[in-house]
Formats: sequence, structure tokens, C-alpha cells
Amino acid sequence: MTSPPLIEVLRAGLCDLVMDDGRYGYTHLGVPIGGAADALALRWANRLVGNADDAAGLEITLKGPLLAFPQGGAVALSGAPFAASRSSGDAVVWNETLVMAPDEQLDIGAVSSGCRCWLAVQGGIQVPEVMRRRSTFLPAGFGGLDGRALRASDQLALGEASVAPRVLRIEPPSTNETAPLRVVPGPQAAHFTDAGLAAFFNSGYRVDSASDRRGVRLHGAPVAVATQDDIATQAVLPGAIQIPPDGQPIILGWDGPVTGGYPVIAGLVSADLARLAQLKPGDTVRFATMTVESARTLARNRDVEVMDGY
Amino acid sequence: MPDYGNAPRASSTTLIPKILWHWITERGLRVETGDQTLARYQALMSADLDEVETIIPADGSLLIVLHPGASPSNSLQALLVADLSAAIEAPGRMHELLVDYGGAAGRDLAAVAATAGLSMAEAIALHSAATYRVQFMGFQPGFAYLAGTPPGLHQPRLSRPRTQIPAGSLAVGGTYTGIYPAAGPGGWNLIGRVEAKLFDPHREPPALLMPGDEVRFVAL
Repeated sequence: MTSPPLIEVLRAGLCDLVMDDGRYGYTHLGVPIGGAADALALRWANRLVGNADDAAGLEITLKGPLLAFPQGGAVALSGAPFAASRSSGDAVVWNETLVMAPDEQLDIGAVSSGCRCWLAVQGGIQVPEVMRRRSTFLPAGFGGLDGRALRASDQLALGEASVAPRVLRIEPPSTNETAPLRVVPGPQAAHFTDAGLAAFFNSGYRVDSASDRRGVRLHGAPVAVATQDDIATQAVLPGAIQIPPDGQPIILGWDGPVTGGYPVIAGLVSADLARLAQLKPGDTVRFATMTVESARTLARNRDVEVMDGY
Repeated sequence: MPDYGNAPRASSTTLIPKILWHWITERGLRVETGDQTLARYQALMSADLDEVETIIPADGSLLIVLHPGASPSNSLQALLVADLSAAIEAPGRMHELLVDYGGAAGRDLAAVAATAGLSMAEAIALHSAATYRVQFMGFQPGFAYLAGTPPGLHQPRLSRPRTQIPAGSLAVGGTYTGIYPAAGPGGWNLIGRVEAKLFDPHREPPALLMPGDEVRFVAL
């Protein structure tokens, strides 16, 4: 009898989180959807190993883990490139099915550009479902593996692989990392002074080290409000850009609150949430406006097909 | 629908003339719903529209989140302006929650009472005599914004939020009463402590209180 497939964590990365495509159906109770910061990238990795789109994988941030695969199996990486090696000596290629031999190790080091990558494993990571999904929600400490990031000596159970691995690849759409982030003007754009709006749209902002999955905090020319009057608490979603009283913008992330009391100056178009996922402290961003219709066209056109590997 | 909403600095025509609406990203249609927020929320939810991913009620507004790439349908636009005066809101559940008013967990009760010109006992009697209604939820999982706080007990939020308050803290902020489901930062005035577990991710539904539910507080 063979033992059930699993992953052994020999060394944890900076913040390795079990993630799936998000916990839908609870936003009206104050629980954000969360899930992989680039859900499409995780979906691509899942397709490369023959998983369903909602299978759970790992989201890896800035510095990755050392993982052992006692039974071997197919894995795939998507998202930002990291320094990485396999104990077999075979190359670690992104966006392509990798077939691990029994007892082979995968060592994911530091990111080379960007911030996050996603690892899918054939069979999917089988942590218990919490509120119908497996994504880790760190702010309230539930989901994933005991509601926390991975630690050394953790073990992750995997689902049984239904088919023999087949080598596939994808070509993710290219992104221009230096182009401005595209935004739709927000509901409280009129709350800001002309100088405040000019600062927001015409100057660069540095990504602060206090950024995480709840929000990307920016630092730069303060965005002045025309009135300090409180606004009524409104519902928000990932990509909404709030301006707190100090004038330093916060782009709400995947685990951010579902309601907020700060004025929203603009909202990141959903196609650029994938770029938000790749921002790291010290990066500089700028903003440019886009129409709602163009943003929808972008969102519809981001997916790509899986191809044979050879 | 035009791009930037029909509010100030709007660019163009009003396809939905009777309501104020804006976009938060190209997926979030924010509509002003005033005192019809819960009724409009229920009408939209029961319509189960294909393009709608989720709807989040808030303070006098709704955020209708569309699936990526989707546009608002004619059915959605019609529902946003439909006359709801004859609609009967689905009644929520009534909850009676036991409260230990005052003490260390309700350290702001004396100040709240003093502002209202009341003794602590009178403030407790006033707060526990009212019936509250969950208007919307947010801030943290299971945190309900309860309307119905007697006007004398309305209190501005603290100018400096506390960094750590215990789970179950009962508090007044502006016109709302709320209960913190989990320990963490909080900027409202603490008046007591509730024993009931407000949020448990391993329960279905995970939140004890839901939009539309009613609450009475019973002093221990």
C-alpha cells in the first residue's frame, strides 16, 4: 500500500500561504473573497498539472520554501520568477509542467523580479475547507494550514492524482512593468482639491514596507482633500484606492476590509490587480485613467490557452 | 452606462436618472440607496442576476460587484430604479444578547453617560431598552453596524483608536452600536461586553448577526 501523497516543508519561505480561487459568498458578512492575489496565474498553474480551477496551491512571496515530494508528482509554477533549483539537477521552468521524482526536493529562493509566484501540485493541497474554501485568511487566522503561513516541518496532504502527468506549457500575457497602473476615477474624486488630484495623477509613489495582502501602502506627494468631513461608510473591493487623512494612498488588497470610511479617489482596473500582486516595497508606481469599457475589455482578454509542452 | 457615474465631475448623461451611482473599479457599481438600502439589497439578491458576483450593503449605499468583463444588464438597471414602496422586507432574526455593561470591558460607559447627562444606570437602561437592526457589516468578519442607538447615546469615534481591545466588546460609534467579534484595534466607545460568539468560521453561517436581523441587549 502506498502512503497518501504529501509535501514536506523542509524550510519555510517568508510567507507561504495555501490559496485557492477565493472564498465567495460572504462579503455581506464582512469577509473578503481573498484567494490568490493573481487568481488567473494560480488557475494557469493548476491547469498545467491537470487540476480543477478551484484546487488549492501555494502563494509564495519574495522568498520561497524548500519542499520535498516523497511520492513525486507533477507541479507547476506561475507568476514572478524566483531563483529555484531541483535536487535532481533538472531546470526549474516557469509556466510549464515539472514532473518531480519520488523524494525529489524543490528549492525556491529569492524573487528575481516582482513579488509573488504560485505553485500548483497535482491533486491539489487538501487542507480542510473553512467556509467552503481552502484559502488562508491571515487577518482573522482561518483557512489554509491552521490559518497561518507555512513553517518548517509542516506537512501538506495532497489529493490523489487521477491521471498520469503530461507536460504542458502556457505563455502568460506580457506586462509592461514600467507603465502606469490604470485606474477608473472613484466615487469621491470630487472630495479632493485640484492640487490633490494633480498630485495623485502626475507624481510617482513609492511602495511602503508596511504593505501586505490587506493593502499596498504608498508614499509620495500627499493627496489633499477639499473637505475633512467624514464620508458615510461604503463598501469597497480590491483595487479601490483610499486616501486617509495623511494623504498617502492605500490600494486595497485581496484581504482588505469590505467596507471603508476613507474617500476613494480611484479604483485599479481589475486586469492590473495582477500587477498589484507583483509590487514590492521600494517599487515606484504612477497612475493613469482608463474608461470602464476599456477596463472590461482588458479583463476579458487576459486568459490564455494551455499548450502541449513540446 | 457612462464611465464616471452621474455625480459631481460626471462626464455625461444619466441613463439611471433617479439614483446617484459611481464606479469603484470597472466592476463595482456603487449606488446611493438611502433608507431603502436593505430593501434594495433584498430585491437585487432575490433577482439572482447573471452578471452580479456579489452585493455588499453599506451605510446608505450598495456596492454591486460584477463578474470580470461583465456590464450591467437592463434588468439590473431596472431594479435599481424599481419602486420598492410596496415591497415587504423579509424579516430578519431577532437576537437577545446578554451584556455585562460597564467595568473594564466597558471603560467608556461613564463618559458616554456623562455626555448624555445620565447616570451609568440610566445609560444602561436607555441602551438596553432600544431595538437595534443590522444595517450592514464590515470592518472585520462578523462586525455588524446596528442602527437604533438612542440619540442621547450617540458619540463621536475616538480621535485615537485603541490598538487592542478584547473580543466581545460592545461599543458606540457615531449613531451606531457594534460588537467587536475578534480582538484587535478599535476606535469606538466601549460600554460593555457580550458573551455570544459573533463570528466562527467553522459555523454556517459563520456570522451570528446578518443584515436585516434585529437585536435587543439584556443587561446582566
